Amino acid sequence: MDVQALRSQIERIDTLPTIPSVLRKLLLIIENPKVSLNEIGSFISNDLVLTSRVLKVVNSPIYGFPGRVSSISQALILLGLNVVRGMLLGVSVFEAMQKTMLGLWEHSLGCAVTARIIAKRKDLKEPEEVSVAALLHDIGKVVLGLKFPDEYKKIMSDAETKENFIFDAEKNHFNINHADAGAWIAQRWNFPRSLVEIIEYHHKPHLSKNVPVQTAIVHLSDILVRAKGFGFAGDNFVPAINSSAWQSLDLSETDVKEILKEMEDSLSQAEDFLLSDE
Amino acid sequence: MLKVSVNNLKPGMKLAKPVINEAGIMLLEESTELTAALIDRLQNMNVSSVFIEGASKPQKSKEEIMLEIDARFRKTENEPYMGMLKRMLKEHVEELYK
Repeated sequence: MDVQALRSQIERIDTLPTIPSVLRKLLLIIENPKVSLNEIGSFISNDLVLTSRVLKVVNSPIYGFPGRVSSISQALILLGLNVVRGMLLGVSVFEAMQKTMLGLWEHSLGCAVTARIIAKRKDLKEPEEVSVAALLHDIGKVVLGLKFPDEYKKIMSDAETKENFIFDAEKNHFNINHADAGAWIAQRWNFPRSLVEIIEYHHKPHLSKNVPVQTAIVHLSDILVRAKGFGFAGDNFVPAINSSAWQSLDLSETDVKEILKEMEDSLSQAEDFLLSDE
Repeated sequence: MLKVSVNNLKPGMKLAKPVINEAGIMLLEESTELTAALIDRLQNMNVSSVFIEGASKPQKSKEEIMLEIDARFRKTENEPYMGMLKRMLKEHVEELYK
């Protein structure tokens, strides 16, 4: 299939019958760039499962408001529309994530936690925005897995038997990888330009023009979470770090050690969050 | 810090983190000292486990973790900076087991 045909197939993913109904409803809302805080708030509040998931995530170590957020409207005020939009998508795709690739949700949460730690260390103004980008960075794997379930299974077993990176196995099969697929769908869903760019370039952070620091942070988070073996992202190898991204982050050895220490606590809390019941 | 299932809690243990229910409401503050009555209440409130003060030890042996790290870095450890990252991670693991 040529790339253009693949892209238009992926962009029509909303029409797939396997898309969970809550996600379908949600897409109608988040695709609209003019949606208001009130509309999102009442949409979430009308869905009990969604409400409890969102509150769980907001009160988890990922967003750093432990036990302090008790309503959706409060979450929207604290985190802002873009973060809540991304988080909603994150919590809605988690079943699809587990179905496509067992461990991908853990990997994504681990990256969200880690990206927030690094973003705070780099004094970024919006650590939550980087964190939500990290939560969604592998959305392309879900999209490919939902759209082409049999082919994606084969790609995964190829990666396993040939001991390849998952992005190489994807590329061998589709001529594109999950970062491309993720960027297409994020664009189609009218996600902010910065989020699209982070998803598109999380394996090639030097290509990011508008948000190079944020992209480098998600790139490093992915590497650290895989290095620690938290979750599963499609293969059991740590990808190489991009030299210019690494240099641009300018982290000292002490910084890295401190990040690893903070990850210890936050990942165990994230694990607890993952294991806790609905 | 140690994660303890509510069934294994003992009076006198101290919370390392606040206990929060699913709706996001805080039930007990951090550093609360548990009493038999509080433990009863936690068991009745559908809380599965809480964090207790005290050092937590990773469950796998150090040697096992080190071997896994070697395996994960196998393809890329000779790329720029990757050897360094691997060394830092291993030093970090050493610290955890001290």
